[in-house]
Amino acid sequence: MIVRIASGITGFDSLTAAGDDLGLGLGGIPENTVTLIYGPQEVGKSSFCYGFAYYGLTQDEPCLYLTTDMGIKEISENFKDMELVLDEYLENNMLYVVDAASSDGESNGYDWYQSASVRNPTDILVKVTSGARSISQKTPRLRGVIDSLTTVLESNNEMLIVRVLKTYILRLKEAGGTAVITYTEGSADPRTEILIKSMVDNIIKLDGEKIIIEAMKGMGRKEAPYQITGSGIVINGSR
Amino acid sequence: MSESGIPGLDEFLSSSGYIEGFPDNTTTLIYGPPKVGKSIFCYQFAYHGLSIKEPCLYVTADDGMKQLQQNMIDFGWFLQSSIGEELLYVIDSISSLSGVPIENTNTYTLSKINDPTDLMVKVGLGTRFVFKKSNEFRAVFDSLTTPFAFNPEPMVIRFLKTYLRRLKEAGATVIVTYTEGVADESTEKTLKSIVDNVIMLDGNYMTFKSSLGFIGTAEYKITDQGLVLGKGEVL
Repeated sequence: MIVRIASGITGFDSLTAAGDDLGLGLGGIPENTVTLIYGPQEVGKSSFCYGFAYYGLTQDEPCLYLTTDMGIKEISENFKDMELVLDEYLENNMLYVVDAASSDGESNGYDWYQSASVRNPTDILVKVTSGARSISQKTPRLRGVIDSLTTVLESNNEMLIVRVLKTYILRLKEAGGTAVITYTEGSADPRTEILIKSMVDNIIKLDGEKIIIEAMKGMGRKEAPYQITGSGIVINGSR
Repeated sequence: MSESGIPGLDEFLSSSGYIEGFPDNTTTLIYGPPKVGKSIFCYQFAYHGLSIKEPCLYVTADDGMKQLQQNMIDFGWFLQSSIGEELLYVIDSISSLSGVPIENTNTYTLSKINDPTDLMVKVGLGTRFVFKKSNEFRAVFDSLTTPFAFNPEPMVIRFLKTYLRRLKEAGATVIVTYTEGVADESTEKTLKSIVDNVIMLDGNYMTFKSSLGFIGTAEYKITDQGLVLGKGEVL
């Protein structure tokens, strides 16, 4: 039996629930797996990450968040727009941020904040690994987010990033993590794209109208319409 | 003939009259896009062999040992007793990247993903161990995808040629998986040419081509019992 954890995305867990039992099979994201969220720009990939990370935090599951597009300040603002407050989790060491977007390294004074350069993937890997270790010493479970892979791929040799990503996946799983990784479709070589898809466990496509679960442990392909609302992604009429 | 462990496959292959089932002591490449069931095929093939006491030399290059066992448990396939009986020999060429110290055992050894020479040495030791148990055994290599990301393509091909030759000589029935599209076109052609059989999986259909002239396509589904074949046609 495949254990799933609540996604934090409205409608996602019922979309992924097994339909053939007495409601015992809860839906969600398979635990200790890595999920790729891909699609064109501005379709809600980051919102998916926000929902996923925040729900975990409310359940006392720490989160290891690698951000490459937006600095921590901007992310905090985005959370506030969704009426979610991050400060508390940053202060009490629940959210470990590796920020590869703020070039000036705005440290904020949090213990669990590391700045890195998007052009230095091995440094990012070192910081993420030490984050995963710090968390796994406290708790056997964590959530991981990489938002997004696109920026790292654009700034480096793609094969190097594939190798770094493989290492990240191994280490995060070893630490008991369940991760979500975003990627903008078509931004890397087709060969790189196939490699990324082969390394993750689950593949979800967002196209702006539909969420398509192309592959997920223990289930077949599924799709449903969704909207991006003020409070994040809402999946409708799940079948 | 070997029993493949894939429900419907042996019957389908023998229905042609060309071959009597899954051809033993041959090498087979299983390829296709990501997430179509290539690894699951390997789990079934190895697990079924173990259940009829055929030893298996398993090289895991995408997932570490722990993950491999977890993936199989998701289908209700437990390796513990086969490990206890020393029927399963695992070479784990990826876990060293996870940064966690792991101990070798009699039947579990680590290698490095970017060191094909070391891997070949470990394959030699593993082959000898498994061969002593039985001269009819299975060998799984899952998959070539990660080696291609960490090594130059010609090096992977050179390794694979040696690997296939050695195992075939030792009497093994070998399956190797590969994600279509991650290597150069000419490399892919070479891959397909150095094995006896190729199996293409596309998510809906499995196409089997053997060097003995069999070509057939059958529907398949990924179920909680693994891959299960449906209706097929022999060409």
